[in-house]
Amino acid sequence: MKYHLKHTTRYDYSSDVTLSHNEARLLPRSLPWQQVSSAQLTINPQPVRLRERLDFFGNRVSYFTIQELHSCLEVTLDSEITTLTRQMPPQGINISWNDAVERMKSQRSFNPLLEDARLMMLDSDFVQSHPSLMEYASQAFQKNRPIVEAIQTLNQQIFTDFTYDPEHTTIATPVLDVLNSRRGVCQDFAHLAIGCLRSIGLPARYVSGYMETLPPPGQPKLQGADATHAWLAVAIPDWGWLEIDPTNGTLPDERYLTLGWGRDFADVTPLKGVMNGGGKDSLSVAVDVTPLSDKHILELF
Amino acid sequence: MTDFSLLSSEMQQRLLAYVTSRQAFADPSNGFDELLSTSGKIRSQWQPVLEELAKLDREALLNRCEEAQNLLHENGVTFNTYEDDPGQLRSWQLDSLPYVISTQDWEFLEGGLMQRSRLLEAIVEDLHGPRSLITQGLLPAELIHSFPGYLLPAVSDQPLRRPMLIFHGTDVIRNAMGEWEVLCDWTQSPSGAGYALENRITLARAFPNQYREAPLKRLAGFLQAQHRALASLCTSQREQPNIVLLSPGSGSPGYFEHAWLANYMNFSLVEGADLVVRDGQVSMRTLGGLRQVDVIVRHINDPWCDPLELRGDSLLGVPGLMQAARDGEVEIANALGTGILENPALAAFLDEICQTLLGESLLIKHRKTLWGGDSEHLSQILMSPNTWLVRDITEPAKVIKPEVLNDGERLQLLDKLQSTPWRFVAQAKLSGATSPIYNRRKDIFEANNVNLRFFSLIEPDHLFITPADRRYRIMPGGLAWVGEPGTLLMESRTVKDIWVMAPVPQPHISMLSQASGPIVVTRDGTDLACRVADSLFWMGRYGERLDVRSRLLRETLGRFLQEDQSAEESGLLPDLFTALEIQLPELAMEEERLSNIEDPQRHQQLYRSYRNSLLELFEENHPDGMPWLFNHFIRNCRSVRDHLGDDAWRTVNNLRQRFNDMPRTQGIIVGQRQLEGVVTDLAAFFGLCNETMPHHYGWRFLDIGRFIERVLYTLELLKLALLSARQPGIALCEVVLATTDNFTVYRRRYRSQLHPSAILDLLLFDETNPRSIGYMLKRLERQIRRLPQPNHSPYRNLESRLVIQATSALHLVDIDRLSQIESSKASQVVLSTLLDQLIEPLSELTNAISHSHFSHVEAPVQLVTMQSS
Repeated sequence: MKYHLKHTTRYDYSSDVTLSHNEARLLPRSLPWQQVSSAQLTINPQPVRLRERLDFFGNRVSYFTIQELHSCLEVTLDSEITTLTRQMPPQGINISWNDAVERMKSQRSFNPLLEDARLMMLDSDFVQSHPSLMEYASQAFQKNRPIVEAIQTLNQQIFTDFTYDPEHTTIATPVLDVLNSRRGVCQDFAHLAIGCLRSIGLPARYVSGYMETLPPPGQPKLQGADATHAWLAVAIPDWGWLEIDPTNGTLPDERYLTLGWGRDFADVTPLKGVMNGGGKDSLSVAVDVTPLSDKHILELF
Repeated sequence: MTDFSLLSSEMQQRLLAYVTSRQAFADPSNGFDELLSTSGKIRSQWQPVLEELAKLDREALLNRCEEAQNLLHENGVTFNTYEDDPGQLRSWQLDSLPYVISTQDWEFLEGGLMQRSRLLEAIVEDLHGPRSLITQGLLPAELIHSFPGYLLPAVSDQPLRRPMLIFHGTDVIRNAMGEWEVLCDWTQSPSGAGYALENRITLARAFPNQYREAPLKRLAGFLQAQHRALASLCTSQREQPNIVLLSPGSGSPGYFEHAWLANYMNFSLVEGADLVVRDGQVSMRTLGGLRQVDVIVRHINDPWCDPLELRGDSLLGVPGLMQAARDGEVEIANALGTGILENPALAAFLDEICQTLLGESLLIKHRKTLWGGDSEHLSQILMSPNTWLVRDITEPAKVIKPEVLNDGERLQLLDKLQSTPWRFVAQAKLSGATSPIYNRRKDIFEANNVNLRFFSLIEPDHLFITPADRRYRIMPGGLAWVGEPGTLLMESRTVKDIWVMAPVPQPHISMLSQASGPIVVTRDGTDLACRVADSLFWMGRYGERLDVRSRLLRETLGRFLQEDQSAEESGLLPDLFTALEIQLPELAMEEERLSNIEDPQRHQQLYRSYRNSLLELFEENHPDGMPWLFNHFIRNCRSVRDHLGDDAWRTVNNLRQRFNDMPRTQGIIVGQRQLEGVVTDLAAFFGLCNETMPHHYGWRFLDIGRFIERVLYTLELLKLALLSARQPGIALCEVVLATTDNFTVYRRRYRSQLHPSAILDLLLFDETNPRSIGYMLKRLERQIRRLPQPNHSPYRNLESRLVIQATSALHLVDIDRLSQIESSKASQVVLSTLLDQLIEPLSELTNAISHSHFSHVEAPVQLVTMQSS
């Protein structure tokens, strides 16, 4: 699928900001299943320095400074992305999840998958292993169950047990609170699933991106109505990372656009900054994921 | 080897006591001793120091020790804990007996430490670049990633231009077997080098002969080399690179040393808020605007250096610093990321890494360390947990002693060891060699364990050569402290100088005389940091307030004594309490005078409560009390430590001592004495500031602070004495004269006749009297006129206008109308208006000045982030 992606973040401050240093992780990374034909950041006011680098996880980071007095900051990403079908683990992979844990723990000869996996098994700022997470996971992860099957069951289990409720949580709601209240948004569910997997010894990473949403039948799609989305991926030994989306109980497909990944949200915050002044700020975000069918493309000309 | 009998009988006594005190140590027969060989003879390296000390008789030795201790104390050598409470500042005992290292031992240590530096640099470069130690399985990934000091933003595939480690410290002990063992490394901002030099300087002053004659290696050359290495980091073609020392501030434990090093090495001492990243470059906020910084010697730990890329909750760091360093706009020593080398778990892998990276075996062994992630190691730990010190690498500063845990904590630990074994390391408990400490109270030598810290520095000329050819040099000396092996420096009570014996006497080197190369003449001026100007200003204000308060309280105590005795004295106490801004005792009734009370019981009661209210001001924690004011004063002094001369600092330390004792003040007379001491110490302090600080911006801010405080206090006193008091008039005027130290001047002019209008002339209009409002306004006007003008505006700034406003009110008043101040209501109204016209603009002055010059930077804040939905 081919998409046009537009993501605008806007901050309005109650008093002037004199100086701000920022880091944006908004440029989508290129992947075997994702071709990024263009990606452009528009920053207003004009930044003084704009530097791009790859971070530890290979995500594209844009650092910029704004030195002029401003009371509003707007950062817009415009990108054209073509997504392809993701590879699925072949039927042949029927290793049980507990063997997988042992395998990754004891393997000494390193390959890139194992190197990443070793890091994604560890606690991070937002996600720490916990006995109650382990217990919640144990329903899906019965001993000797094939790993892919168990992961998919957990994905479904969270989707069924939890209610999507944007009013309930904030950016910093601890995973255990989410587990107890059975409510949250995609970020919470991704953190929760990661916590479950890490608690039983499986490496899991947080993926930040977008998803194309469809308007209710017969209605036109509203502008800016899409949202940033988050899901996760689990390491399968000798194969790679399997993505799951517990918010929707699905496996990500061509409708999922990937920005980047990390240990948890803290590693892939789309826009962060430190500023002098500003007082109170208010934030608004608008996301449009527009499919470009052949017809759409023709209309553009 | 020397026999005891060759030494003086006093020395023999000390040595015999030493032999006895060794019995207290676990295994005295086998344990290695630094001083005595197994056959009980004195080791040859100790000969020179013992022989020289033996030349002093007991009294002379005691005096010298006392002298050393005083010097150390006067220079304010402290390692303070985080509380900014003067009583909490830890002063060390400095042992007059150094720790002596023989030439042969030093050869081994030096070689081993040099190797260690190369090894550490190789490890830290690998972990921030190719990470082959992890991918080749030499270091488990979880060991590195769980350690909070591993900075992912510092990992890069760009080749490094220069070594990450410039200067680091290594803690070493000699164990009971006599072998050297490394305990840990300090690779971010090692503390102690300044203390080492300060100890050496202090002892060399107290024991000039011993230190001149001894064939020991000198330290100053090392600090010069350190300066050279730091300056060479700046590769831009600047004549004098701007090097700053970034400190967490005067509340941090190492602040004394930060100020000391900044002074000795001639760096600007800055805090995070003094620095800003603009146009990609790091600059320092100064009175003259932004000044570019080339090299930062940081004494802030890795995670706190940049709230943008590292810990967002850091108030110590500088937003954008990592990017500036990444772009090569600033050099940071040591580079951000070097903290990973302080991971205690590395020790379990060092032998193998040393073989792999350097192709050598590790020369000085590391304290035995087990890693829980290794199943064999884990079972060793679980078998006998009590024999180890356990550390969780996610909380590296905490040491867990399993034997002191209660059952619950113990189970919890064992549980964690089973479930996440890779997070834990176990370090062997150590028994150290014994070494002599001089106990001057008993005049004997006593045996104890000693910890040593050595310092390594990259050869200044090797910064930009290929890594394989780089060499480090080791400071020939260091810092020793008394305590069981592994005792933290901060927890020790006694420090020692380290003597490294050289085959021949070594020449002296001083930092100043040896400076070579072209020098640009500088005059401290607009490059003064805004924060320093701010602190100097408040140091002036609080110092002056302390002075006026002391005087007023002293007078009040005097009146209180008199009032109790003589019936003629009028009841001034209520007014004096108002002046001191304290509450009257509840028992005191209006119009009641202590001297008039007939009922002895009631008299006693009231007397007691007055007395207690006054003495409370000497107590700690009393808001507005003397110690409270002093805390504010010394906090500002400390944050400008590098701008004060040594003599001025000595007076600050005297004051500190005085205030340490103050809360125990019991009697009125003792209180008076204390206050007199405070007044003269403060006079000495400000006098020394006036004499020694360059009369440039810094000094002007100090002076403005003092005079704003003085002018406001004098005005308030006048208002009280002549207008608003319960009993305005002559008696209170006398107190005002005494408080402003004008009694003598007045008497010389007017004899003993107290006349309000004469007092008014002396205190308001007489510009030749330094305590008059007229004089103070003139002085403020002159100082403010000479401050830098940040905006280059042709118009007068607010602070000048305020002073002019006050001055005009004073000049324009009709003096004749004030002559009947005692009797005429009209005169009183004129005076009241005048005083208000003076007080009003002058109380706005502080805000105006701080607005124009101190550029109060709001603490940077984080943007809120949107939750993904």
